[in-house]
This record gives sequence, C-alpha cells and structure tokens, in this order.
Amino acid sequence: MGSVLLLIGGILDNPPDILLFLGRFHPVVVHLPIGFLIMAFLIQLASRWRKFNPLGVYIPLAWLMGAVSAVVAVVFGYLLSLSGEYDKETLFWHQWAGIALTLLSFACYFVHKQWNNSPSIIKWIIGLMGCFLLMLTGHLGGNLTHGSNYLLQYAPNSFRNMAGLPSKMEPRKKVAVLDSADVFLDLVMPMMQSKCVGCHNEGKRKGELLLNTYENMMLGGKSDNTIVPGDALKSELVRRITLPMEHEDFMPSEGKLPLTDQEVVLIKWWIKSGAPSKGFVTQLDTENTIGPIVSNYLGLDKNNLFNKRVSPPNQGVVDTLISHGFVINPLMKDNYFLEANFSLSEADLKASDLDALLELREQLVWLNLGNSNLEDSYLEKIGSLQNLVKLDLSGNAITDTGIKHLSKLENLESLNLYGTNVSKGVLELVPKLSRLKKIYLWQTQVTKTDITQLKKENPGLIIIAQRE
Amino acid sequence: MGHHHHTKPRVISRREMLGLSAGGFGSLAFMGLFGTLPFGCKRAGHLETASNLYLGPHYLPKAKNVIFLYMDGGVSQVDSFDPKPRLAKENGEDPRKKFKVDATQFDNVGKILKSPWDFKQYGECGMPVSDLFPHIATCVDDIALIRSMVSNFPEHTNANYFLHTGSGLQGRPSMGAWMNYGLGSENNNIPGYVVLDGGLIPPGGLDNFKNGFLPASYQASVFKAGPEPVANINPREDIKNLQEEKLQFIKQMDDSLIGKIGKADAVESAISNYELAYKMQSSIPELTEFKEETEATKKLYGLDSDDPHLRGYASQCILARRLIERGVRFVELTCPNVGADRWDQHSNLKVGHERNAHAVDQPIAGLLKDLKSRGLLEETLVVWTGEFGRTPFAQGSDGRDHNPSAFSMWMAGAGVKGGTIFGKTDEYGYRVIENEVTVHDLHATIMHLLGLDHKQLTFRFGGRDMRLTDVHGNLVKDILA
Repeated sequence: MGSVLLLIGGILDNPPDILLFLGRFHPVVVHLPIGFLIMAFLIQLASRWRKFNPLGVYIPLAWLMGAVSAVVAVVFGYLLSLSGEYDKETLFWHQWAGIALTLLSFACYFVHKQWNNSPSIIKWIIGLMGCFLLMLTGHLGGNLTHGSNYLLQYAPNSFRNMAGLPSKMEPRKKVAVLDSADVFLDLVMPMMQSKCVGCHNEGKRKGELLLNTYENMMLGGKSDNTIVPGDALKSELVRRITLPMEHEDFMPSEGKLPLTDQEVVLIKWWIKSGAPSKGFVTQLDTENTIGPIVSNYLGLDKNNLFNKRVSPPNQGVVDTLISHGFVINPLMKDNYFLEANFSLSEADLKASDLDALLELREQLVWLNLGNSNLEDSYLEKIGSLQNLVKLDLSGNAITDTGIKHLSKLENLESLNLYGTNVSKGVLELVPKLSRLKKIYLWQTQVTKTDITQLKKENPGLIIIAQRE
Repeated sequence: MGHHHHTKPRVISRREMLGLSAGGFGSLAFMGLFGTLPFGCKRAGHLETASNLYLGPHYLPKAKNVIFLYMDGGVSQVDSFDPKPRLAKENGEDPRKKFKVDATQFDNVGKILKSPWDFKQYGECGMPVSDLFPHIATCVDDIALIRSMVSNFPEHTNANYFLHTGSGLQGRPSMGAWMNYGLGSENNNIPGYVVLDGGLIPPGGLDNFKNGFLPASYQASVFKAGPEPVANINPREDIKNLQEEKLQFIKQMDDSLIGKIGKADAVESAISNYELAYKMQSSIPELTEFKEETEATKKLYGLDSDDPHLRGYASQCILARRLIERGVRFVELTCPNVGADRWDQHSNLKVGHERNAHAVDQPIAGLLKDLKSRGLLEETLVVWTGEFGRTPFAQGSDGRDHNPSAFSMWMAGAGVKGGTIFGKTDEYGYRVIENEVTVHDLHATIMHLLGLDHKQLTFRFGGRDMRLTDVHGNLVKDILA
C-alpha cells in the first residue's frame, strides 16, 4: 500500500496545503498503532501463564488493530514527508521500517488467526521482529523530529561512547565578570541553543538552515542573507525575529518561546559588530553602550551572595545576642542567612556585642542598629561584616569618622544614615560601595550642595535626603 | 479518663506537638513575664529544627511589616484611580443599551453617571489620579496600582470576610493572623497584629480580624482612638506589687491546670494574653503619646487640620508608623466615621466620597512620605483597598451601587514597583478585560513580599492543610520590583 502511495507521491512535487495539513497529524495518529502493537505483544506474552490464558483469544484482534491503525499512520506519515523538511536518509529508513512493520503486523494477525496451528516458534519470531521494528521506526521518527543527538544528549558518557558519540561537552563556565564574557560563546550561542536549534539542526533543517554552529550559521539557509556581518537590518535572521508575532515569517514559529527584547538587541549588536566567531564583549563594545545590557542579561548585576550556602550560626552566639536584647531572625528556610535587629531594645549597645556580631559575619546580611547609642569607634567592626546587604544606622550620633570604616562592605545595597551627624564623608564613601542602590540622608549634616554633587557623581543611586 | 490523666503522663500526639511548637508560646511567655527575655527568644532555635516547625520567611523577604489601609465600603474606581472619559460622553444615557448590566444589590439601575471629579496626571510615571486624592497623587511614583481587581461577593459582609480571610464565610483566620503565624512577632510588649479602630468597624464585625483556627494569640488587638486606646490599660491596683502577686497566683493556677489537661490552646492563649496585657501597661502609653513627634511631622500628617476626622485618621497613621517602628507585623486602619457613611455611597456620591477622601488623603500621603524619609518604606508594605468597586452607572440619580467585577487598589513600599499600572477595565470601568487579579492573588502577592510562600504556609484543621489562599492564588509578578 505504501509503495502505491509512493508512486502517486512522486508526481506530487508541489503538494497542496491540505495534504501537508493532514500530514501534520502523523505524530498524533502514529501513537495508536504503537500502543496496539505493544499490547498485542504483551497479551501474547502474558497468555503463556495459566492465569492469563483466557486473554489468548484477543491476540489476533490486537495485532489486527495494530496493523490497521499502522496503515493510517503510514499514510499520514507519507503526507508529512511531502514537505521535504526532513533529513532524506533518516526519512528513507523510517518510512520503509514503518511499512515493513505494518506488513509484519498483518502477518502476525494471519499467523494467529488463520493459521492457528502454525508452530509457536514462528509466532514468537515474527512477534519479536515486530517489536524490534517498532523500536527502530520509533527511534528514527524521534531522530527526525528532535535531531539525531536528542536521545543521548544527556546520557552518561559511557553510553554516548558506546554509541560512537563523543563525551558531553563541558558546559561553558558561567560568566562571573563582564570582562570574561565572550560575544558568541556566552551570548549568541546559548540563545541559539535555547530558542532556535530545536528546529534548525542536523536532523530537521527547517528552511535548510542550521543554527547549531558558527560555521553553519554563516552558511545560511534558503536565503543567503541569513547573517550579513556588519548590517543587522539586512540580515534575514534579524528580520525574522523582529517581525510582528502574527506574521507568518516570524521566528521562532509555531508559538515557540520568542526571543526577548534584550536578546534581539544583543543579536543585532553582534551582527553590527561584524558577527565575529569569538571576542570579548568589553573589547568589542568600544562605545560602552552594550555593557550594562549584557550585565543584566547574564545576571551579573544581581548580587550573587544569596546563591552561596552558609553554615549554621553558632547557637551560643545567637543566644548571647538575644539575651542582650537583639532580635535574630532567619531570612530563608533553606539557608542560614540572618537578620539582627537591636533597634527594638531599650538597652544600650555594648562593645562586646559587636564581637558577637562578628562571629555571625558569614550569616548576617541585614543589620538594624537604629537608635542604639552607637559610637563612631563601633563602626570599625561593623565595617568588617562583609555580607551585609542592608545596614540601618539611623538615629545614632555617628559622624564621617565612623562611616569611613564602612568602605569595604561590597555587598551593601541599602544604607540608612537618617538622623545621624554624617556630612561630606558620604561623598567619599558612596563610590566605594559598588553595589549601593539606596542611601537615606534625611536630617543629617549633608548639605544640599553635597546632595547635588552626590547625585551627579552616582547617577543610578537613589538618594532620600528630605521629606517631600 | 480523668483519673487516667492523674496516674500516667499524657502522651502528646504528633499533631499536638506541631500545634505546640507553632503556637504554644504560653510557657515561653511566662519565662519572660518579669524578666527581659524577648518574645521571639526561641526563634533562632528553630533554625536547627525540622522544617515543619520552622518559623520565619521561606525566602528572602522584601517587606517585614504591613500597614493595611482598609477603605471600608468600596471606593468607586472610576472616581479615584481608573478614569473613564466615555462616562462623561455618555452621561445620562441608559447603560442597558450600552452593555449587559448585572443584577446589583439594590436593583435601582439609573443612567450612566460621569465622575464628578477631574483626573490629572502625576509624577514621573504620569499616573492619573482624581481630584479626590490630591495628596496621595504626589506619591504615585512609589505606588503600584492594580485596576483589575475582582471580588467574589457583591455584598459587604461576605466581601469583607473574603478580603480579610480569603473566604466569604465567617470564621477563617485573618491575613494579619496568618502573617504572625508565619513570621512571629518581633516585639514582646505589643501584639503582632493590631487594628486601629478609626470609628467604623467594617460589616462582619470583629470576625474580620480573628485568628480562626489558628492559635488564639494571633488574633488582632483592637486599639481605639482616644485617651485610652486599649481598655484597662492603666492598672487598677494602687500598689504595683499587688498586681504582680495577683498575676503570679493566676500563673500557678493555670500551670497546674496545664499539668493536668496537657496542651490546651485556650489556656495557653489566656496565659500569653495576661503576659502581654501586663507588658502593654507600660508600652502602650509610651506608644500613644506622640511626645517625640515634631510639629513638622504632625503637620505633615494633618494633625493641625480643621477637620476632626482628618485629625483622627492622621493620628492613626502616625500610630501605625510607630507600631511598625516597634516591630509590629501587621497594622490595619479602619475608616473614620465622617458622618456620611463609609465609602458606600448608594446616594449622594459627591458629598460622601469627598468627605471620606478628605479625611484620609493627607494622612496617607503623610504616612508614605514619612516612612520613605526614615527608610521604613523599604521594609513596610502599604496596602490600600476596599472590598469591591462601584458601578459606572447611577443607583437612583446620584449614587453608585456595589460592583465586584472591577475595582482599583494600590500598594506601595517594599518590593513593589512604584509608578506601575497593572490590569485594565472596559471603557466604562465596569468589568475587568485584562490581567484580572483576584483577592487570592492579592493575598499570595502580599505573602510573597513578606517572604512567605502561600502554598507552604499551612495549618492543619478539619483534616486538611489550610492556607490563606485555599487552593487558589497566583503572584502578580508585574508589580514586583
């Protein structure tokens, strides 16, 4: 039957849409015979046991249902193949293995039904052959859809080597600083891998375009202007990813996850920069325009302090601090980061408490010492609590002399100096706190001119210096 | 059975053990009765224990405290934060010819009614706010506005229960109780959940603020406006020792009762209530006398106003800030009684809304600015909402009926993306057409900002692990900073 269709198909060089449409149902239809045939084989197996003996009468029926549904699957499969979007060699074997399986299923039916007296060894041989063909056809079909390395992509290396595949590539190390970010390996390639290679791979070759390596990308597909180095707007790839989503040329197609605005910007910039196969972002970015976007895209502007696991705090130290009036709170369920708050205590802070705080330096990320009669000299120790993200020193008579000691708090994002005696010293301190996002300076000695200067020198910083 | 208890120590069941650990602070509180041990003293100990005994945020919180500005009665969205020019164009026309009109509570559907107030754009974000709220309008860059709220109930009592407890029926734990159950209190002298009664207790009564099936110590304490915010806050005994001895005696009695019957939530809560009440006798007067507040601060909130209702709400707002400063987890403010009903203007919309708005507008703006300048807005979530919205067409000639199909609410402060507008209603402001946010979604988002996963914070009751969000709730991610 399949060969008859093949003959007709040979004439159909330009298949009408309706046939292609029907072809798209192949993945749905094909799972029916798979189920029936496996069931047929299992019944055949099970009925050997006395308990399941009565099932034996259903064996021919199961093989027949498998065979008939396989015919339908073959027809739909053939229609799908007309699109010509599949790897020819794999397709050839998939198609003929499928047809062979269909014929074999009929054979099984006849052996069980019509020639019931045939020796059971024959029944088992053709049954096992059917199973083998089923797996082969299924595997080849999977390769056609997902690419030939789909199945073993995450397999242990020993399996991969047995199958003649190289060991898995070590994943590229996560970029830790912007200076080490490579334009192709860390930006373009990961985008291609996650959004494009699913369809543009060795097996699928949609639009005859492969996006799995640099060389293939440059080779292009049906259109030869896939990537025009130096001119993003002339590049077909850019046109496709920037079209309105409803447009039929829009990529990724079929409702797959589109590229984000940020990714589009980065790809355009890469092509504009000549689409190099490698090179550091910071070196290519001579005008220093793309750096912040790359930082954000790679998550470098986030504080990765919280990705670390810290050890449990010393319970004795925690108990001591609590008995001295601190409230100590956990901040996460699955990690030991802590908050310490002394602002609710009516007692004065003692110098020895600071030594106890130092013993929690790994865990302590939020510290509130508001209204605690803090002295400048205490700040030296606070300045070595390196994991502090939030620090509240409001309502203490501290001055510029004290806050000098805070310059090494590289994780600090929020600093509250409201109601303190600090003044110009903040101008020196702030540039040293690289992650600082917010500073509170209401009711301090910092003048309006100082604030203006602070704003000018630290454009991203949120400065709250007055009550509007 | 009673005899049995005397002869053999009672075995505590797993469930009771969990209950004890989650809420059984009675004995702990006793340790601190006349000493200085903080209420949360065992908090750090929880770090080492099994996860189901864990007390604290699930993940890094954005906010530590909540100030809930409850706009009792239902503010009209089309007159406050959701301008609809089409209402002006079609003013006086029959709404039934324009769109399908649902049954309303009073079924007295009038004509389409334009807003009596103009809208202007404010701030860098250009958020439109009506002339009802000229002061709040100056804070829009800190506000995340949701215009697509919906409620399940068109009637006050159920809608109030729903908004406060996540269920339209009476008897479930209130939001504030859940927050305290999940995070504990930081201050052992003041309750962790305080309702500042501005004059109007919402329909549904105190059940809006109850602990439900959670341990009784998590229910709200209601502070009244006036010289004695908490009843009997001044000791009746002339001699200080006399009161302490009385309390010691009660403690001995309660202790022996607990020894006999084992864990009993009612006794434990009574003990911790005595404990707390004793401490409040010293902490509350300090709290409610605004001795350290400067004239500038008082003026900012509007304490110098001619409107007594505004002055009342202003002092509630100052008190709310002072409670937050003292580590109180959840403070809810109810509305003042302005003499023209709550925000429930079934008639006389203009007068009623104007009086209500006048009383709360300046104090709320003052609160936001004051919190911000002190750095407190970074750890405080301010929530402003009613229980539902109002119809874009009139009830009678000059009122608006209840509308649960769309209302506006806003949040400001910790973890919230200021200057954002989320969700959309139709051209009349009658129904939500984009990004619908349910009350469960709102609860999930508030909990998220406090570091709590609404799916993880559960309490076993009636054979089920109960949640504030029941089986619902999706985070409103677009308003998160």
